[in-house]
Amino acid sequence: MATIGISTEQHLNMYRDMWRVRKFELALEREFKRGKVPGMLHTGLGQEATLVAVAHSLRREDGIFPDHRCHGLLFLKGTPGAKIMAELFGKATGVCSGKGGSLHSADVTVNNFGDNAVEGSFMVTALGVGLGWKMQGKDSLVAVMVGDGTAGRGEWHESLNLASVWKLPILYCCVNNGYAISTPVAFSHATGDLVEFATAYKIPAVQVDGNDLLAAYQATQEAVAHIRAGKGPYFIEYKTWRWQGLFSGEFRPKEEVQYYMEEHEPISMAKAYLLKEGIVEEQQLEAIEKEVENEIESWVQFAMESPQPDPAKATANVYVGWEVESWQ
Amino acid sequence: MAVMTTVQALNDALGLMMAEDHRVFCLGEDIGKMGGDFGVTRGLYDEFGGERVRDTPLSESAIIGTAVGAAMVGMRPVAEIMFADFIGTCYDQMVNNAAKVHYMFDGQFRAPIVVRTACGGGFGGGPHHSQQVEGWFMNVPGLVIVAPSNPYDAKGLLISSIEDDNPILFLEHKALYRLKGEVPEGKYRVPLRQAKVVREGNDITLVSCMKTLHDCLAVAEELASEGISAEVIDLRTIRPWDHDTVLHSVRKTGRAVVVNEAPKIGGLAADVSAVISEEAFSSLKAPVMRVCGLDTPIPFSLPLEKLILPDKDKIKQAVLKVIKF
Repeated sequence: MATIGISTEQHLNMYRDMWRVRKFELALEREFKRGKVPGMLHTGLGQEATLVAVAHSLRREDGIFPDHRCHGLLFLKGTPGAKIMAELFGKATGVCSGKGGSLHSADVTVNNFGDNAVEGSFMVTALGVGLGWKMQGKDSLVAVMVGDGTAGRGEWHESLNLASVWKLPILYCCVNNGYAISTPVAFSHATGDLVEFATAYKIPAVQVDGNDLLAAYQATQEAVAHIRAGKGPYFIEYKTWRWQGLFSGEFRPKEEVQYYMEEHEPISMAKAYLLKEGIVEEQQLEAIEKEVENEIESWVQFAMESPQPDPAKATANVYVGWEVESWQ
Repeated sequence: MAVMTTVQALNDALGLMMAEDHRVFCLGEDIGKMGGDFGVTRGLYDEFGGERVRDTPLSESAIIGTAVGAAMVGMRPVAEIMFADFIGTCYDQMVNNAAKVHYMFDGQFRAPIVVRTACGGGFGGGPHHSQQVEGWFMNVPGLVIVAPSNPYDAKGLLISSIEDDNPILFLEHKALYRLKGEVPEGKYRVPLRQAKVVREGNDITLVSCMKTLHDCLAVAEELASEGISAEVIDLRTIRPWDHDTVLHSVRKTGRAVVVNEAPKIGGLAADVSAVISEEAFSSLKAPVMRVCGLDTPIPFSLPLEKLILPDKDKIKQAVLKVIKF
């Protein structure tokens, strides 16, 4: 893969961001197991290259609908990482005051419209953001992160159809990690190549190796250029693999696990490329890893030390302008 | 003052708000050139164009989702779901998205959408074109349900709803679309969350909304000639509804009958009667009674439908039972 005009600085930034995603999730997983993170946990481990490729292709004013494996994207979009970590801990200092959590962390200041934990439901919300901005004459685009399992939802099809008909500035980022919880993609959909659905709706669509940072980045850059030129939506299927198995344990074949965690693992692939091309020295990469470690642990520390939400928050912001009854 | 049908009053409200505020736009099935299944958007396409009077495919989830997304970036969408029964197909968008956006992100986003929909039975529409759906939404925090009973309120409430920052389900009873009434020209507002005492009385309070409100008024008129003075309240906003106006009336009359076209179980009438019992028990001279639709879907046959829905006779019988308690 050619380096498509990427500066050394950007190579290093992207490499750093992959580690930020990785170490954020590892720290979160550790604290979840220690009982410090309430609720459920879905991680983006193994999908770092895809998330970084998307993040580095968006502007601050572009919109994002992150899905449940996008913790990394939440801070890569521009929200301070400590506020994201605190939200996942359910704390007052979280980006939604602890009311949204892992599955609903939005930040209006960076046009992060939040996850909708009913997988795929926000695909139609994104139509409205795209339409609203188009009607307002803005040139921002909105990226929608969806998993492969989402292809079964009616909203998937309603959204692709209308984005195509209305030529909306929507970037569909389909993160195909092979399984909807335990069900292989091709088992429950007419095709395991989800890109074919988008093609059927006359949306330009490509399939790319989502573990290959530069391939994913280049595909995303081309998609973004298409949308910014006013040509309507674009669909990318990032083929990747999630580290997280099931709550009951690993369910996938040993060879597959080994392949994705050792041979086709996104960070080591990126590292090998940078070293092979002589873009950086190994020492630099090691220093980055250490710096990221300290950064993420400082976010964990901030989240741990943050207070629980003010009790008044329980009944706040149900309606605009009206209060609801409370126990007091 | 001009005399208008409810359809004309709603159309007038939409036209006024679209002319005044470029953020307001309509979307729904066949609302453009055709003007909507009931003519509520008639003429708006010619005046404002297809961008702002936007025809959609039969994608109800996309209609509501598009409205919410556009509202999140500052627009004021008015969505039409052709028949209220169809809301089942976009229920998730209403209850998990529109109603929760403001709360779950702790106030960062708002979803000021209006979802207009034609509801109600009595015309042989059958199981999928006749239902009152407020019961489906009574348990949804964050959502507001508005339900006018006449052309004046229809226009004023729609204007208030478009200006309000909350997601609003705006119920339009089909039996009231052709009802005529005096409607002022230009813009005026009917406040949300305020019920109205539409007939004063001292012996019993009838609480209702939409079509059955008119049945209550007819019964009150009949009862007057029999020496019973009934007060009639139109809730107008049915979620969250105006406790004060209802309780004030019941504390005066000591009796209440709550009338709602939807099935009795878990519905609006259940909530109204529960609040009366909790808050005004010591004023009550008799138990609160509910007159509602039976616990059935709506059949196609008109005689069967008539058996199921509340009407004047059923309301009168309930009133007399409460009076004689």
